[in-house]
Amino acid sequence: MSASTTKGWVGRSIPRKEENRLLRGRGKFIDDIKMRDMAYLRFVRSPYAHARITNVDTTAAEAVPGVVCVVTGQEIMAQTQPFIEIGPDPGGKIRDFPMATDKVRYQGEPVVAIIAESSRLADDAAELVQIDYEPLPPVTTVDEALSDASLIHPDIGTNRNWTGVYEYGNVDKAFEEAAYVVSIDRMHFHRFSSTPLENNVVIGQWDSKDDNLYYWCNNSFPSFAIQFLAAHLGVPIDKIRVQTFDIGGSFGIKITTYPQMAVCALASKKCGGRPIKWAETRSEHMTSSAHGNERTFFDTKVALDKNGVIAAISSRHVDDCGAFPRYEPLGCVIFTQVLCGTYRFRNVHIEFSQVVTNKCPVGPNRGYSRMQQLWFLERVIDICGHELGIPNDEIRLRNYVRPEEFPYTTPNGCVYDSGNYPKMLERGKQLLKWDEWQEKVKAMRAEGRFVGIGIGTTLDSGTNNFGQARIVNPGAPFSGNSQGANCKLDIYGEVVVAVGSCPQGQGHETTAAQVVADVLNIPPDLVTVRTGFDTERNVHTGFSGTYASQFAVSGLSAVHGAAQKLKGEIVQLAAFRLETSEDDIELGMGNMGPEARSRTRGTSINYWSLANLVNVNSAELPPELYHITLNCRYVWRAPFKVPNLEKKFGNLTLTYAAQLHIAVVEVDRETFVPKILDYVAIEDCGKAINPAIVEGQVYGATAHGIGAAIMETCAYDESGNMLTSTFSDYTPITSMNMPLLKFDHIETPSPNTYSGAKGMGEGGAAPIHAMSAAIQDALFAEGIVVDDSFNNAESIFRSLGTKERSQRSKLVKVEKRV
Amino acid sequence: MPIKFSGDFEVARTPEEVFTFLTDPNKFCPLLPEFKGMTVQDATHFTVKVNVGISYIKGVADVKMELAEADHPKRAQYKGQGNVAGGGATLVAGFDLTPTPTGTKVAWQGEAQVFGRLTSVAGGLLEPLGKKQIQKLIDGLQHALQNSKEKESEGIAS
Repeated sequence: MSASTTKGWVGRSIPRKEENRLLRGRGKFIDDIKMRDMAYLRFVRSPYAHARITNVDTTAAEAVPGVVCVVTGQEIMAQTQPFIEIGPDPGGKIRDFPMATDKVRYQGEPVVAIIAESSRLADDAAELVQIDYEPLPPVTTVDEALSDASLIHPDIGTNRNWTGVYEYGNVDKAFEEAAYVVSIDRMHFHRFSSTPLENNVVIGQWDSKDDNLYYWCNNSFPSFAIQFLAAHLGVPIDKIRVQTFDIGGSFGIKITTYPQMAVCALASKKCGGRPIKWAETRSEHMTSSAHGNERTFFDTKVALDKNGVIAAISSRHVDDCGAFPRYEPLGCVIFTQVLCGTYRFRNVHIEFSQVVTNKCPVGPNRGYSRMQQLWFLERVIDICGHELGIPNDEIRLRNYVRPEEFPYTTPNGCVYDSGNYPKMLERGKQLLKWDEWQEKVKAMRAEGRFVGIGIGTTLDSGTNNFGQARIVNPGAPFSGNSQGANCKLDIYGEVVVAVGSCPQGQGHETTAAQVVADVLNIPPDLVTVRTGFDTERNVHTGFSGTYASQFAVSGLSAVHGAAQKLKGEIVQLAAFRLETSEDDIELGMGNMGPEARSRTRGTSINYWSLANLVNVNSAELPPELYHITLNCRYVWRAPFKVPNLEKKFGNLTLTYAAQLHIAVVEVDRETFVPKILDYVAIEDCGKAINPAIVEGQVYGATAHGIGAAIMETCAYDESGNMLTSTFSDYTPITSMNMPLLKFDHIETPSPNTYSGAKGMGEGGAAPIHAMSAAIQDALFAEGIVVDDSFNNAESIFRSLGTKERSQRSKLVKVEKRV
Repeated sequence: MPIKFSGDFEVARTPEEVFTFLTDPNKFCPLLPEFKGMTVQDATHFTVKVNVGISYIKGVADVKMELAEADHPKRAQYKGQGNVAGGGATLVAGFDLTPTPTGTKVAWQGEAQVFGRLTSVAGGLLEPLGKKQIQKLIDGLQHALQNSKEKESEGIAS
């Protein structure tokens, strides 16, 4: 590649560097790893949602030839401390161990671990374990949880693990002055999950030689996991080494695998230090890994002026976090990153509670906690629009934050860095051919068809201020955000970058190479990027991992900083060697590869020679340059402050990407199947580092969201049995179900990042909002409002056919005061 | 989802005879559908092995049974709990006995519940299958009571 083509790699859709490896089947995944003396772990799991364990008999299993050992929850409890609880009391008193001790609290909870010479032997032995249960009344709904009739954690005396009130502005006054008050009785955001191609896998070894813990795993937030593991296992954190490699998708769900990591370590210890592999099956993943949060919205009241501009929202939200809080109650504050969504209203009152239920514990699922709030707001907008007779595009335009208001400070102190929501809507309408569809919909409705157009506007808030944890627990020792990276010339002058992220398909190797290529003025092909977390690379901080739409901001800022440091050292060294000033040095490609050259003297030195000077020819280096290592670590820190805890006020996120989706949906009159007739997605993530990767992530997030909207639900029966524990029942979306997507990108650069990029990838669940809106638009004339985020044929039948749910007459009241 | 069941039948035996039959695990348990064998722990506790199978899930379940109530000669109730591939099951079955001019009315009621992955895999098959198995049990019980009476009248020891 010539020097003339090496400028401006950021912003170009270059092919992904990792494709060559991944598409040829040469990726390195944890289950590919085989180790000498490795044994295999299989969990015996509870069939009950809620039951007391009265007896555990592992005798027959232990007698099976090839079984190495058996570990029970009681054994673990005797050797460990309960996991740290992020929340304060009462939730802080919950005693969470990686396996059930005295009772089981969700179907699929591990009770016994069998370790055997092969996974098949472990499977066979697991069937011989006899566990006696005394069933207890299961808690499967928020209503049951709130009643406290059956307590999941009796020690804390309630099922409500966290409660708080978020109030801003003058809500009472806004309601007094309102022209309309719209009341919505109850809405529900359903429980769904992610279905990564690769399930959770852990290899853990508590090495008896050095007493260190070694993990090879696909956890996607290892710096968080090791903090939990060190305290739980009672080992210094520097004795835990975690390595991740290629990861086949996570979507956040792989953050909370530290319980299984703990069991592998303890099993290894019991087996004399043998490496222990646990590879999760698909149905284990569906029942027992982690699900997304389920949320119910009660007693919502919306104050509007005579033009349909929202003045205030008051509501009561109850989040269901499953049997153990684990990453929670962070979701109880994270939703406030998008408290008002894309809208301008300033008066808000939300009473927020979280409850435990006898369901799988939740974990941060793509769009974590914000998508529920955004769906709620989009429902409010659409219900108010329909009730007041304001078209769904118009009511949004009347309520959007205006382009000239950026950077926009929300009532709770979040600062939206940039955006242009009206422009996104305009572009979306153009791409859809809005006016043509309006005419078509009229004609189709005249034929008796149920057709609607729905808009979903969302925010993809990225790069968290972990200080928000203190809003839910003032004692939480977190705030800010940071990421580390290392950029070096190795001994032979190769540019090598190491980052602490755990990419799962986001193309970090490529985008990091693009950033470094621009700094050093070389092609990205010449930049080797070591992705995957490794504690011993020493590039991570306590926030390192891949989650919450932040790599483009935090990860690449760290990479950029490290590359700038390296560039500075290269320039300094080259100036010495070429006997010129640093100002005279420029970097680029020469005949011998990457080089530094003197603009005025025409001399140059290539990277090999520079690296040689520092690493293996150092007698030629003058003492004043001894500080140069060509091995530069940089830690980027987000410019956050600790929020005001009393007022629950502060900037919680650094960037706010946005997505706007429009769906045209027809509900079949006979089968009630919702069918997408047309679909548009508009993205604004500021400066796109690699537009093709951005587009790919939009496609992925759209598929995930459409699947969640009309196909995927973690359904439980009243006994706490998960009814959708296989793909046959869960029916994850496939390419066959995807509409042809019309996609476009607008760009409002972020002033908060060096490149103007904003984090993206989660997508804010825009498809769920757009699909709910379109289905309501199709059925509003039939007396239906969409009050649930899951709308498959069966649920629409229950709305339209049997009238069991979603009846406008029961759910919505409008008080007109003008 | 609990599967509730109830019904009644009449048999030409005295309540004492029916009660004795019902509360004898060696007589009652073989009537359980797909019975393979049993181990008696004591007069009220025993473990029954039964074949289980729904579609491609097949196996042998150990069901721990308890004679939870024995109110001679009016009522008997069994409670059972078993583990099967991918799940567990509980069973409560009660029998109320009322004398009639020609024998005894046996009113049966109870609840069976399946837990675990089976509920997802077997789905809607569970309830009809459960009811079918319960009907088999009741039919078997009715037949056994009647049959033992006939055998006795023929002078064959039951």
